[in-house]
Amino acid sequence: MSTPRVKGNGIGMAIPHGRGPSATSLGLLLLVLPLLVLAGCLPAGGRGSAASGPTGRTDPSPSPEGPLVVTDDAGRSVTVAGPPSRIVSLAPSNTEIVCALGACDRLVGVTDADDYPPEVTELDRVVVQTSVDIEAVVAAEPDLVLAAGNELTPSEAIEQLERLGLTVVVLYPQTLDELHANIELVGAVIGEGGAAAGLVADLEERTAAVVDAVAGAGRPRTYYEVFYSDAAIYTAGEGSFIAELISLAGGEPVTGDAQGVIDTERIIAADPELILLGAASYDPALADAEGALAAVSARPGWGQLSAVRAGRVVPYLEDVVTTRPGPRIVDGLEALARAIHPDRFGD
Amino acid sequence: MSAAIRADGLRFAFPAGSPARSVLRGVDLALDRGELVALVGPNGSGKTTLLRLLTGLLRPDAGRISIFGRPLERWSRAELARRVAVLPQSLELPPGFRVAELVEMARAPHARRLFGATPEDRDAVERALLEADATALADRRAGALSGGERQRVLVAMSLAQEPDLLLLDEPTIHLDLAHAVGVLRAVEALRSRRGVAVLAVVHDLALASTFAARVAVLHEGRIVADGPPQRVLLPSLIGRVFGVSVEEATTRDGRRVLVPLVAGGALPRPVAVGDE
Amino acid sequence: MRATVTARPLVTGPTPGRAAVVLAGGGLMVLAAGALALALGTVGIGPLDALGIVGRRIGLPVDGAWAPSTETIVWEIRLPRVLTGMVVGAGLGASGAVFQALFRNPMADPYIIGTASGASLGAVGALVLPTLAPALAAAGGGPLGTGLVQASAFAGALATVGLVYALARSGSGVPVVTLLLTGYAVSAVLAAIVALLIFLSGRALAAVVAWIMGSLAGASWGELGLAGALVTAAVVLLLLRWRRLNLLLLGESQAAHLGLGVEREKLVLTMLAALATSAAVAVAGTIGFVGLVAPHLVRLAVGPDHRLLLPASALLGAALLTLADAGARLAGGIPVGVVTALIGAPFFLWLLRRSSAVRPRAEP
Repeated sequence: MSTPRVKGNGIGMAIPHGRGPSATSLGLLLLVLPLLVLAGCLPAGGRGSAASGPTGRTDPSPSPEGPLVVTDDAGRSVTVAGPPSRIVSLAPSNTEIVCALGACDRLVGVTDADDYPPEVTELDRVVVQTSVDIEAVVAAEPDLVLAAGNELTPSEAIEQLERLGLTVVVLYPQTLDELHANIELVGAVIGEGGAAAGLVADLEERTAAVVDAVAGAGRPRTYYEVFYSDAAIYTAGEGSFIAELISLAGGEPVTGDAQGVIDTERIIAADPELILLGAASYDPALADAEGALAAVSARPGWGQLSAVRAGRVVPYLEDVVTTRPGPRIVDGLEALARAIHPDRFGD
Repeated sequence: MSAAIRADGLRFAFPAGSPARSVLRGVDLALDRGELVALVGPNGSGKTTLLRLLTGLLRPDAGRISIFGRPLERWSRAELARRVAVLPQSLELPPGFRVAELVEMARAPHARRLFGATPEDRDAVERALLEADATALADRRAGALSGGERQRVLVAMSLAQEPDLLLLDEPTIHLDLAHAVGVLRAVEALRSRRGVAVLAVVHDLALASTFAARVAVLHEGRIVADGPPQRVLLPSLIGRVFGVSVEEATTRDGRRVLVPLVAGGALPRPVAVGDE
Repeated sequence: MRATVTARPLVTGPTPGRAAVVLAGGGLMVLAAGALALALGTVGIGPLDALGIVGRRIGLPVDGAWAPSTETIVWEIRLPRVLTGMVVGAGLGASGAVFQALFRNPMADPYIIGTASGASLGAVGALVLPTLAPALAAAGGGPLGTGLVQASAFAGALATVGLVYALARSGSGVPVVTLLLTGYAVSAVLAAIVALLIFLSGRALAAVVAWIMGSLAGASWGELGLAGALVTAAVVLLLLRWRRLNLLLLGESQAAHLGLGVEREKLVLTMLAALATSAAVAVAGTIGFVGLVAPHLVRLAVGPDHRLLLPASALLGAALLTLADAGARLAGGIPVGVVTALIGAPFFLWLLRRSSAVRPRAEP
């Protein structure tokens, strides 16, 4: 099985409030480690930042030209001098928010995992393999840096950027509501409040539409698999963003522990009726229904699951949007709903 | 005038379970300035142990030791090193150093300059190399010396310390006769010229009796004889202490020599059993 | 009475001229490495520009105009990092030489009596604490900064050395072999605890791994000041003890006969070397091989006399680590400990083979 490329905020999305990848992230890290060592770097040092800080709020007295004081998702109070014209994004989700608000032309640095919208691939890479290149960020001369929380951007890097005088705002939405608040926060900060309000309204509308469409259709036990290996299995963590999405999409999520780790026994006990393979987005061997079913049935003990016996093992190809906490998350919600209740969507 | 060494009633035993077998059971020894005393005795009789007690490396279980009139415990290491030099039985020389540098290291107790050597130091080193017949070895690396050459370097190191008391543990080991004689001559010159007191553990009885005015015999933890060699190294004593029969012979110039007796390939039984 | 038998003056140690050459050469090496390292990085800045920026900042009359971001990069990011690398490398090089003398063992390195395992425990403990006991960490007044990590590492290293020393004490003194073995044993125990902490580390895992591999990223003027002061003080005090280090090479008995208070000296040397190592490890993590290889190389070039060996080991350690870190940055920001291991280990093997082939065997 090829190593899945972790795009979007990948694993970060499978975890709920306040806790990050933990004990068994060792397994994942060991798999990804060769890539990191060969091509990039691991964040050096680090510290615990306030894990579950309040979601971003704006002070109620913004003026288009004057300084703005906001509280970001790390609980930090940040002063933004004026609408920024050079923005660096340290996470693909942040990039997508900026572009969805029509400020794509103001971006001057993104990560190497950024791929949407397509034009951002032309921009300078300031984050390589999750490691922040401080020199590159400084060289881009940004007046706003959008970082990710929960150590996805290492807190040591955030510290160093602040020490060098840059304005850093940390975003870490853990629910749809928090994501909407983030969009509004970014809108206020970059002076696109109107676009933000419109975007949020649109997302809320589409979400409501999904909830309506699946209402009353029963809630199959749904197991969303982020990553499978003999050493570790990752799924939606208890209380995580993906668990929330599955719920909204009309399924009953099978959840792992707080870090999203689950073992085979728990899965068998939960007996999912539907299995969605997020890794199919990256692994061609899982990309067709027959291959997926064969691979899953071959796993020891999995043959007896309801989902396997009923043949409901679905290669899920929209993992990127489902695990990236940006404006396209609702695309992910819609994809989940179609996968869980195909009959309700005319397929 | 205080003696160089005065040791009274020394008792020492290694802790139970250690492999060392030597034990001192009441050793009295005195050495004056300008005296050369050879300490002899069979293997394991405690000669090295006695030396280590005298230099403070070991603590006696009972008894007192004074060096130049002051109790040994009241000497600091640094002060002691300025007056007393020790040549141990064997010493690993760190290989990368040149002989001259090693001999200079022995000047450490007298070191005055922070980073270099004084002219006095250099003179002392030259003299020491000369007297130990090691001048030719000055530029050689320690790792490239034969056993005999290494021994001469060690002798040079103790001489360079310019001590008032010299303690030598088997200084002639590894040395051929010519070099052994040379070393003992140098030591004797130190004694007569500068009044250095010398206590030398020597295994060669003939050399001992030739060079030492006084011989002390250590046997089973006690000094059983102490005096001029012709009175001490008698066949009866040697038979008792070393377990070997010897016969006295006289050289043409009248000097007394002891010759071990070996009859028909078998070593004879000890002549007399001492009272122990 | 002067003996004048030797035809030419007796050379008993490095002449002032030779010492000057070695030390000046070492110093130049460090400066060149520093200049090169300042110029290298993901953002291209020429060496002349980099030196110009530094020059202007320290008050020299330098002409030139650079973008503020370029100046920031050189003065706020690269320069503290390069200088920290020099300080750490010097501390490791000097203490490596001291431990090799203390244990009369060429395989000794600065971490041998537990500084690495102790520092790891301190640092990893501080990094993992917010995950294990968030309430405790929050109660401590907000997020634990990197300052706490470094302080814990420093304290852990020194405490471990103290523990090892105390455990190894027997009767009259601390036998060197016992010290060595006790160091191994204690390090093993601490390493097991660190492994457990790694297992429980949660989102701090990446930070923990980076620390253990050894990295100079995030170096700042503040931590440079403190580490620099400690390492410099320790190294200077060690330099003054060159004679005693030479004596120790003769063996403890003979050193005592030559006036050295052996037990006291072992304690002082251990403490000073541990101080330098602990300060280095606290800011940079456990960077390997520099403290092992630098003294060896110097010994090959300059000989075992600590008069030159110590300062030259410090200088070479500084230069080597600076270059290794420049390489690490060019390779994409990998931890410098990875570079020193990748280069140091094969190099050390080569050194071993070469020295065993060349060493003359003394005849019996």
